[in-house]
Amino acid sequence: MKMHGYRESVQHTIDGLDQGNGDWLIEQRRAAMERMAELGFPHVRQEAWRYTNVEGLLQKAFTSTPPISDSSRVIVIDDMLEEPIAARLVFVDGLYHPGLSTGIEQMGFKVGNLRAAMVVGDQSVLGSVGNLSGMGDHAFAAMNMAAQQDGAVIQLSKGVVIEQPIELLHITTSERSGHAQQMRHLVELDADASVSLIERYLSAVDDNDYFNNIVCEINLAEGATLQHQRVQQESNRAYHLCDLYVNLGRDACYLGVNAALGGIWSRTEFHNRFSGEGAECEVDGLYVAGDGQLMDFHLDVDHSVPRCRSREHFKGILHGAGRAVFDGLIRVGADSQKSQADLQNANLMLSGNAEVDTKPQLAILADDVQCSHGTSVGQLDEQALFYLRSRGIDAYQARRLLSLGFAGEIIDRFETDSLRMQIGSDLEQRIRF
Amino acid sequence: MLTIKNLHASVEDKAILKGIDLQIKAGEVHAIMGPNGSGKSTLAHILAGRDGYDVIDGSVSYMGENLFNLKIEERAHRGLFLAMQYPVELPGVNNMTFLRESMNAIRKANGEGEVDAVSFMKLVRAKAKQVKLDEKLLKRSVNTGFSGGEKKRNEILQMAVLEPRLAILDETDSGLDIDALRTVADGVNMLRSEERALLVVTHYQRLLDYIQPDFVHVLVAGRIIRSGSKELAIELEEKGYGWLLEEAAA
Repeated sequence: MKMHGYRESVQHTIDGLDQGNGDWLIEQRRAAMERMAELGFPHVRQEAWRYTNVEGLLQKAFTSTPPISDSSRVIVIDDMLEEPIAARLVFVDGLYHPGLSTGIEQMGFKVGNLRAAMVVGDQSVLGSVGNLSGMGDHAFAAMNMAAQQDGAVIQLSKGVVIEQPIELLHITTSERSGHAQQMRHLVELDADASVSLIERYLSAVDDNDYFNNIVCEINLAEGATLQHQRVQQESNRAYHLCDLYVNLGRDACYLGVNAALGGIWSRTEFHNRFSGEGAECEVDGLYVAGDGQLMDFHLDVDHSVPRCRSREHFKGILHGAGRAVFDGLIRVGADSQKSQADLQNANLMLSGNAEVDTKPQLAILADDVQCSHGTSVGQLDEQALFYLRSRGIDAYQARRLLSLGFAGEIIDRFETDSLRMQIGSDLEQRIRF
Repeated sequence: MLTIKNLHASVEDKAILKGIDLQIKAGEVHAIMGPNGSGKSTLAHILAGRDGYDVIDGSVSYMGENLFNLKIEERAHRGLFLAMQYPVELPGVNNMTFLRESMNAIRKANGEGEVDAVSFMKLVRAKAKQVKLDEKLLKRSVNTGFSGGEKKRNEILQMAVLEPRLAILDETDSGLDIDALRTVADGVNMLRSEERALLVVTHYQRLLDYIQPDFVHVLVAGRIIRSGSKELAIELEEKGYGWLLEEAAA
């Protein structure tokens, strides 16, 4: 489908909104639709998309028609977390499902969904939409702004500390085959607020093809802390694109860890910006790509003020004919003295047919900084394999143990036990060691 | 138990072993000594099945089987164990998990059931105490960040847990202080029995003060030029290898 087709589809979505009531952000949507057309779809001639072709995605012609809201639908969730949680917001086919969601009323803070805010025209929520992301840097982000259907809203007031995690659980059912889902999450933590967020993407059926197009805006005020565990386990035919915008105020702390395991095509973009001194940002990730899969991570971490620290450690396991792209950029402005950054990307190639394009970059204009970066692409160590086998462990098992050991460094950074277990068993199922 | 006949082997077309003959019976402890570069480690590696060596001629039979027909892990299943000179670091692989996987793989290959977690923990803790390995190291990644001595103790721990039929120690004594050396020797001596055999590869006589070998063989330039009792080791310590080289040349 060409741009005009997508434009018509978005126009149709906007026309279908209940414009008589609430505030559906019509002006922003129209502007974003124009922006989408203006930008055109990303192309491999653009540096940021050089290794990530969107032709396959466009040919699928996923339409953005919003699903029918039906809170009485019965959805069986296989992999529920065992840990107690403060709240769970479940999104089924891109729409908030109140029946499956829990813990919302008891909270001493605002947690809810974007669609509900639009229905009543809640400006304390809607006023923040697009503050960090703008209209979007590429056509898909603009498409999300124009056709956004729902998403999570989490707003913590000053000093509010939530001990147990809040979970955002996304499930796509077979009814959404052939569709695109435009979700937009908003997380705002006022000064010294703190919470842990778990974000999971699951598919109800294995061969479900759909497009999850997500934008997530995270604004952390002075001294606020967000722990963010993200696990992407979409179906093997799904397309997944997520743009995250993280703004860190003075002494704020963002601790993110990602696992990208599913999908035929999966791209995650982090746009992290320090806006106050003394802040700290960690983004770690694990990606696993096998036959037919593309896993892509883009990081743009902007040290625009002095005395901030960032760490970005990503590891990838490539097997079969899997492909991965890692493009990590750390920018340190001329006035951002005493910045610290460490950007690392390591790739384990389990097959000769796999491919990775990795590009860690430091763009440093200040002179008093501690910044490092490193990248590696390698195979399992022959000496290590010999060592394991000499202890009676067969070759397959030796490869398995070493590969899981390689991934373990990142998996161990997931604080929630059952997430670690799920990621571990997912790896076991996917990878031919 | 082990019969090596006329073994010739090379690395990248360079001949390293030039006709080794050696027979080891159950209950015996053999020591192989020799100067650097004589082929001691090559022999140990070939027996364990390491890649990168070409066997040109000769045969090795272990427990009645042609050793070269057995995969690396199959040799371990039949009770062959190599304590490495440079134990490999395995980042992300938990030491305890590694030991359990190893033990269960060997048990399974021998038609035995898996050992249950509780008895296994108990066993490993007791053995770790014997070889004076800090219990904390059991929870860490295999050899990762271990000191030289800790790595060697970890090898001896594996040996103590797996109870091999034929244990080959490849310069396990190198780089060890006297306390560590004693611990290693104690670990080896505990394993000595009528059913087991040991092949101790070493550069120095030192270890043999603590592990009394039944036979000492001197390997020089790929050949065993002299075999004898443990007194030969003492003689070597006193006189060095020079006189043997001269005798061999004469």
